[in-house]
Amino acid sequence: MEILEFASPRTLDEALHLVRDRHGTAIGGAAWLRMNTKTMPLGVDLSELGLDYIREANGSIEIGAMTTYRELETSPLLEARFGALFRNTVSHIVGIQLRNIITVGGTLAGRYGFSDLNTTLCALGAKVVFYPGKIADVASFIQDGEEWPFLIEKVLLPVSARASYQQMRITANDFPIINAAAAWTGSSWRIAVGSRPAASRLCKKAMVLLGNEPYPSDEKIGQAAVAAAEELQFGSDIRASAEYRREILPALMRRALMEVRG
Amino acid sequence: MIITLYINGKKESVECQPGEMLTEVLRRAGYVEVKKGCDTGNCGVCTVLLEGKPVLSCSYLAIRADGKQITTIQGAAKEAEEFAHFLTAEGADQCGFCAPGFALTVLAMKKELPNPSEGEIRHYLAGNLCRCSGYEGQIRAIKKYLEAEHA
Repeated sequence: MEILEFASPRTLDEALHLVRDRHGTAIGGAAWLRMNTKTMPLGVDLSELGLDYIREANGSIEIGAMTTYRELETSPLLEARFGALFRNTVSHIVGIQLRNIITVGGTLAGRYGFSDLNTTLCALGAKVVFYPGKIADVASFIQDGEEWPFLIEKVLLPVSARASYQQMRITANDFPIINAAAAWTGSSWRIAVGSRPAASRLCKKAMVLLGNEPYPSDEKIGQAAVAAAEELQFGSDIRASAEYRREILPALMRRALMEVRG
Repeated sequence: MIITLYINGKKESVECQPGEMLTEVLRRAGYVEVKKGCDTGNCGVCTVLLEGKPVLSCSYLAIRADGKQITTIQGAAKEAEEFAHFLTAEGADQCGFCAPGFALTVLAMKKELPNPSEGEIRHYLAGNLCRCSGYEGQIRAIKKYLEAEHA
């Protein structure tokens, strides 16, 4: 990737101006930049904006866009509120050295199909905050995108949830061939599937099937797991066929649901 | 553009392009102990410590390191040499190409985790690939090194 001009704004207003009015490209963790052969006329660095935080505020857990995966993995606050969820979600990704670089905002903005984190965020009912204040469901944003240009400021999570993340990889450092996350929000179930290999999606029919019963039976969980595989579209790529992904998903989903139910 | 890096405690003014990754800039400045491996963010060979944290220099924008402290294996030579005695004693080093990044990650782990279990060691080192050793000797060496440090 060639970057012709590089700007390091010190305020979100300045960053938004560069992105919106000068057609700059916001740069998150930047770990994938070297794989890109395009030329970026103006790169807008977000690392000096104080967007590196995990905190509780205004009835939510707030995660700044420049928070790294390693910070998610080691956050005492996330561990206290979600157990091992975030550790399980990101700790399979390459190594600590890469997880010290890649960011929540970069992952969200890319709406990557292979993402582990986006599946968990969808299941938790996370919101994405676009500066200066527009809020959207992460699941909707991943599915439909957002009118360009935009600047992701932070992600909002519920203050706590019982949730589980499951994935299958061919080798430890590879992308997942399929992943699944389930969460009991306190009033309903949310379940999501990613790396189909397309981007994460909610399994809305399966969520309806589970209803608002916090402790569904094994039979109901089995039905929901199968329903999730039936309602989604899967694709084939170098890692797995669509049929294989469809076959594997119910097992992962059952594990996730049973882990959350207890 | 010119950026200022504090490499192994020494202030260096180096030229870099906005899209360049840190590996290239460090090697051009003469720090060739920073090895270039897969160059796709997978192998861990290019690991350096940035403000004390291990990062893949092949995946870190050099311009973002402006004003920051960087440690290469030469900057941690004394500790690395102590660890190397345990590696050789366990027959855990062969071609040596992965050793700089591997040793820096071990030293970072020693600072971050006070008394890691074998599982935690394996997890922490998962991003450092080695084509030669099969890892078991490395794990033995790390455990003995940490035991000796705590003795």
